[in-house]
Amino acid sequence: MTIATQPGGGNSARPQPSGLADVIDTILDKGLVIDAYVRVSLVGIELLTIDARVVIASVDTYLRFAEAVNRLDISQEKEGLPGLVGGMEESGARHKTKGALEAAGDKLRDFTDSQNGDKERAGRRSRSREDS
Amino acid sequence: MTTQTEDRQAGDGRTGVYVYGILPGDIEVEPGAPGVGDPPGEVRAVRYRDLTALVSDVDLDRPLGRAEDLFAHEELLDSSAAEVAVLPLRFGAVLASEDAVADELLGPHYDEFSAALRQLDGHAEYVVKGRYVEDAVLGEVLEENPEAARLGQQISGGDPDATRDQRIQLGEIVAEAIEARRQADTRALGDAVAERVTASVVRPPTHELDAVYAAFLVETGKAEALRQAIEQLAEQWGDRMDLRLIGPLAAYDFVGSGAPAGN
Repeated sequence: MTIATQPGGGNSARPQPSGLADVIDTILDKGLVIDAYVRVSLVGIELLTIDARVVIASVDTYLRFAEAVNRLDISQEKEGLPGLVGGMEESGARHKTKGALEAAGDKLRDFTDSQNGDKERAGRRSRSREDS
Repeated sequence: MTTQTEDRQAGDGRTGVYVYGILPGDIEVEPGAPGVGDPPGEVRAVRYRDLTALVSDVDLDRPLGRAEDLFAHEELLDSSAAEVAVLPLRFGAVLASEDAVADELLGPHYDEFSAALRQLDGHAEYVVKGRYVEDAVLGEVLEENPEAARLGQQISGGDPDATRDQRIQLGEIVAEAIEARRQADTRALGDAVAERVTASVVRPPTHELDAVYAAFLVETGKAEALRQAIEQLAEQWGDRMDLRLIGPLAAYDFVGSGAPAGN
């Protein structure tokens, strides 16, 4: 895979797909804070985009992961053994897991190179479904 | 709730001076550099002895915080940081006037700002952010953890309500396995860049699939070596992770975040 080096400065390619999240993490959380008594207050900083910034493992998270595993299983079954859903042995499933992942990895490498973030993963998944 | 008339009256006069950051020496600001606000205020310099603050006028009756405002703040500071040491202020610092910037901010903190700028001299910040590729990391977990694989089989194609307990159990195993990987990969990142960085800060994860997230203070001369180290890691980690190197940035993570500048 390649890594994307993003020049921080200049007027070039901003905003990028995941750029806003990066900026929020940085300039709302970090940086020098000046004494409150020196500051005059703004009418209110309007921030619509701060959500999902704190990662707390919850039942929701667990269910989402389980669903992702389920999707993974289903796509393997489709690719590996059409018509033979269910009744698989564990070792067989494991092999297919690997095969499906490698295949997906190859098909989707182009995607990875050009994009980042959640959109990309969604795109990747739907693509491998179309292919299967 | 204010009336229209009050809004207009208030909007007529109440402006403040938005402060972006503090730089050493006699910095010239490119004319026309856009700041925060709508329309964007024009960025200018306020000087106190050999310190310069980058500021622009801002309407106090309009909320800030649009994506454009955030980008304007960061882009101005990051483009400066590529050239010279910068003390970046957290987004949203507004003082009453130019005089207040000089007399209440730069003056009283002259010594500590100068010392901090000397320490940052010749450095910039780089952020490394890696996120696991979900299918790949799930595949790893299922492969190494028979219990997870067994639960995966149990829920496969089943009624979601009937298998809720198994789903939660499986998800918990996955979350723990990802956390263990996150810690191991963060250590590996730290080891890989140790020789190239002056200081480092591990940032807390912001997403459940975050793999590594850290900021590094890097000497200008070592930036290329850092890039190579990260590239090598990316190769090593391969398709299981999307890895990004972001920078050069102003040293947001290395200016005593959280503590007030004064006292």
